[in-house]
Amino acid sequence: MSNSVKSEATIQAHLEAAGVSRRDFLRLCSIIVATAPAGMALTKASSVAEVAEKIGKARRPSVIWLHMQDCTGCTETLLRTSAPDAASLILDVISLDYHETLMAASGAQADAALKKAMKENAGKYVLVVEGAIPTKLDGRYYEFGGRPGIDVLKEAAANSAAVVSIGSCASWGGVPSADPNPTGAVGVDQVIKDKPVVNVPGCPPNPYNLLAVVLEYVVMGKLPQLDDSSRPLFGYERVIHENCPRRAHFDAGRFVNAFGDEGHRKGWCLYKMGCKGPVTHASCSTRPFNEVPNCWPIGLGIPCLGCTEKNVLWKIPTVETVPIHLVTPPDQYPSVFAPIGKVGVGAAALVGVAVGALGGAALAAGKKLPDEPPAANEKQSGSEKR
Amino acid sequence: MSKTWERAVPVYDVPIWTRTFKVLCGLAALGMILVVYREIAGLGPASGMNDAYAWGIWKTFNTMVLTALGSGAFAIGIAAWIFNKSKLHVVMRTAVLSSFLAYAFGLCMLGVDVGRPWNFYWILFPWHWNLHSPLLEVAVCMTFYASIPLFLENIPPVLDFFYGERPDLRESIKKLEKVIVAGFPWVVALAYVLPAMHQSSLGALMLLGGVRVSPLWQTPFLPLLYVWAAAFLGFAFVTMILLLGWLVWNRAIDMEILSELQRICMWLVGVWLVFRVVDLSVRGQILAAFRFNFDAFLFWVEMGVLAVAFFKLRTSVQLQSPRTMFYSAVLTCVGGMLYRFDPTTAAFSPKLEAAYFPSVIEVLVSVGFMSLGILIFIFAAKVLPILPGSNALAREAEAERAKNPVLRFLAPKAGQQQFVTGD
Amino acid sequence: MDITRREVLHQIAVGGAGVAAGGAISAVALTEVAHAEEGGVPPEAVGMLYDATKCIGCQTCVVACTAANGLTPDTRYDALHQTPGDLNNHTKTIIKLYKEVDGKETSFVKQQCMHCLEPACVAACMFGGLKKDATTGIVSWRGKYCVGCRYCQVACPYNVPKFRWEGFNPEIVKCEFCKERLAKGQEPACTTVCPKKAVIFGKREDLLKEAKQRIAANPGKYYEDRVFGEKEAGGTQVFYLSHVPFDKILPEPGDESVPGKYLKWQKRLYSYLVVPAGLYAVLVGSIRKNWKGHEEHMEHEEKETGLRAQL
Repeated sequence: MSNSVKSEATIQAHLEAAGVSRRDFLRLCSIIVATAPAGMALTKASSVAEVAEKIGKARRPSVIWLHMQDCTGCTETLLRTSAPDAASLILDVISLDYHETLMAASGAQADAALKKAMKENAGKYVLVVEGAIPTKLDGRYYEFGGRPGIDVLKEAAANSAAVVSIGSCASWGGVPSADPNPTGAVGVDQVIKDKPVVNVPGCPPNPYNLLAVVLEYVVMGKLPQLDDSSRPLFGYERVIHENCPRRAHFDAGRFVNAFGDEGHRKGWCLYKMGCKGPVTHASCSTRPFNEVPNCWPIGLGIPCLGCTEKNVLWKIPTVETVPIHLVTPPDQYPSVFAPIGKVGVGAAALVGVAVGALGGAALAAGKKLPDEPPAANEKQSGSEKR
Repeated sequence: MSKTWERAVPVYDVPIWTRTFKVLCGLAALGMILVVYREIAGLGPASGMNDAYAWGIWKTFNTMVLTALGSGAFAIGIAAWIFNKSKLHVVMRTAVLSSFLAYAFGLCMLGVDVGRPWNFYWILFPWHWNLHSPLLEVAVCMTFYASIPLFLENIPPVLDFFYGERPDLRESIKKLEKVIVAGFPWVVALAYVLPAMHQSSLGALMLLGGVRVSPLWQTPFLPLLYVWAAAFLGFAFVTMILLLGWLVWNRAIDMEILSELQRICMWLVGVWLVFRVVDLSVRGQILAAFRFNFDAFLFWVEMGVLAVAFFKLRTSVQLQSPRTMFYSAVLTCVGGMLYRFDPTTAAFSPKLEAAYFPSVIEVLVSVGFMSLGILIFIFAAKVLPILPGSNALAREAEAERAKNPVLRFLAPKAGQQQFVTGD
Repeated sequence: MDITRREVLHQIAVGGAGVAAGGAISAVALTEVAHAEEGGVPPEAVGMLYDATKCIGCQTCVVACTAANGLTPDTRYDALHQTPGDLNNHTKTIIKLYKEVDGKETSFVKQQCMHCLEPACVAACMFGGLKKDATTGIVSWRGKYCVGCRYCQVACPYNVPKFRWEGFNPEIVKCEFCKERLAKGQEPACTTVCPKKAVIFGKREDLLKEAKQRIAANPGKYYEDRVFGEKEAGGTQVFYLSHVPFDKILPEPGDESVPGKYLKWQKRLYSYLVVPAGLYAVLVGSIRKNWKGHEEHMEHEEKETGLRAQL
């Protein structure tokens, strides 16, 4: 929250004032394009330069970030970028007007800061929610300045332009909602029903998924294409199994049977160890965390836990294998009635010629035979027949 | 009508080493060389057989089809000896020799076709036989038949030959002939029971093909249809050989005997055709013949050829036309051969997308064995009294052989041999 | 020679006697054909149950089978990978894929020997090269007796036995239930390694029960709510459960066992060789009778023509 410029300025202007190099900005835009090559109007059929121009012209969005029943992991993932400038770059592109972890204020001053941010940017800010919403005890498992967190959330959402749930906790309840869910933790969309809520699940999620959603809304004025669970398609359309770098091992039957065994050391498929890749929609296999390739569970030899999926994480035991029916098998398997044998052209020609020759010979022979019965004891046509 | 065919007479007036003979020797030699290749390289490289069509043309054509052509000894024999059609006796030697050669080389082909022939010795241990296997019945019965009854039936012409060439052996030959006469009914009856068994077992072979054999052929009566087809094929093939004797070697033809052969053949073909159609309708497969597929096409070719053959067989007897007799014999052979071959390979569908066609080597080996059989027949017909002829011709042959014996280069007996230069 | 009435009557008598004798003997022989001699379930019959709805096509079974049986992997089509196109002499089990053209209906299928209760291959084999174990029901190949005639390949309705076509010492190769492993108290290689337990090993009757339980517990999930192998071709020891029609993933041979039909007739006609012997007796009698007439004729001819009679 290092902005000294008012949040009405365009992003371009702000970046220039903040001394961010154009190269760094373009690098950020290329990451956005890589994150969401489809499913967003912002990046659709656009080059990096075109995306940069669109973003540059937009107003710097105001973002209010609420923490609920969270571990702050989603915030950390935003900050734990491997290139430190990228984190501050993100914070230069958006105007993070309220964020409990990052702001200096606390206590009553924090409360006042929230009220101010909501008032100044009413109707324009994007509300990002991190953490699950406890509903039992009238929501008093989480209190915010003495008020139940659920009320604060509702108030913040009422004045927002869009609501984005970051992380699995905010998307569907996450860790707090695991059995027996004593606090009645639920996702944001179970509480906020009158505004569109975009879920960006993951534990933690990829920060660029969040940034892409925010930019799409702010720059293009609309939310990206969402699936049935309100997750952006660009990040959650495919299951991990479809794009897994270890897929070749799966297809060839090379599996890890025990942690530390030969297969594990060689990086073989973790399916038998309970990898939930086949039933987990996420983009981890194609977009690395912290800009580090292979920086994700499977890349590190740990079976995927299915952290984005409400029905997987904390529901299916980690060691249990999952069905893979929905995946259409590739064509490399032999077909049930496999082709075998062929008709040799040379042989066919040879046989054809032979049969033809014999047939012709038979016809010719027949012609030479008399059509009339030979008279007894007389010459039987031509030479003496004995 | 005076008889033209009264006894068997060698084709004494035609040299053995003709151009045709040389070609046949060449083909046979090529075939044998390729057999050696097959033994070394294996069945895969030497043939077009594969796991879907494990039987190529060797077993199915050379053994299953050609031994049907070689059923003259069986079919004509039964007509001559059981149904007492005595005029057919004079063609028996032609039938018996052609049958023996067809069987001998059919069995040799079987020996080449199997992958592990060294284990064939188990045939000598009946307690190791799997009595449920139709192929066992075929192997045991055919081998026994070819090596004993059929072989013995071919001895008389050889004895006749030595009677003429080696007067010193005449007493022993007469004694041997007495033995033959004594054992004749016992051996010959065996020569009819055994082929009935194994020709029908050849049909039973494809019963194990189950639903993979097209329903236009697959029937519980396959053995009966096969042995019946062997019968008319035997007749037709011998008729064809006899007529070729006229064409190639100037031998007179006896219309009376040929008509008899044609009549019986016609009757056999006619009943067979009726039975086949009845069998199809009882099994409810008549409609299958009208589908638009390869099996139906094969069926119609087969039935068409045999139907035309039936009518030609009839008219040939009415018209007493040797030409029509020849055509009808050829058509009968072709139709019968197609029938015996189709359910094994052409109308056999192990799975979709499986194809088979014999490779060039496979065809050449098959042709090699056929050539070998034909050339031995030609050789035998020229040296031994096999083909039927008139008594007058027989006397001329005797005179010629007395002048120029075949075995003139063996140790000469006093006063019997003369050295003659040239042919 | 003109046919006399006597001869016609003689011929009818011969023919009639032959038919009557054959018929009488067959009637006697038929009374023996009461019970089914083959097709019973062996006392310790083992089996496999393959559930196509569980199979994920990982092909670990293929790899494990090749390794456990000491076969060389089939790398003819891809030098780095074992990619058999079908069962063959390197491959005793294989995973194949059935996929509708539009990709909507798919199923894997594991193919290997079905170890039928009344195997066509065993009936076909001349010297017992393929034998069905009387206790476990495993059908195995014994090279000592195999002639390499490949009749088993023609007979098997599932296209299972495969032949080694190259070289001079060919063999028939097919699944034999990992007999050596069973002897050591282990399970077959494929059932041991399957990660989804799509193929499991057990006693045939237990597996049949299990299959029926699965069908009962999941109505509508399995094709026609039936187990393939219970009755097919007389019954097999390898069962299949599938969510797609069986004819898409396996050849369907019908309910009757392949050898069943003709074995009945074989027994009727060849039991103790009574029918052939009877026929032989009739033929000998007939030939002897006709021989007398023939001999007279030959002697007459020899006298008349001066030429030696020909046998």
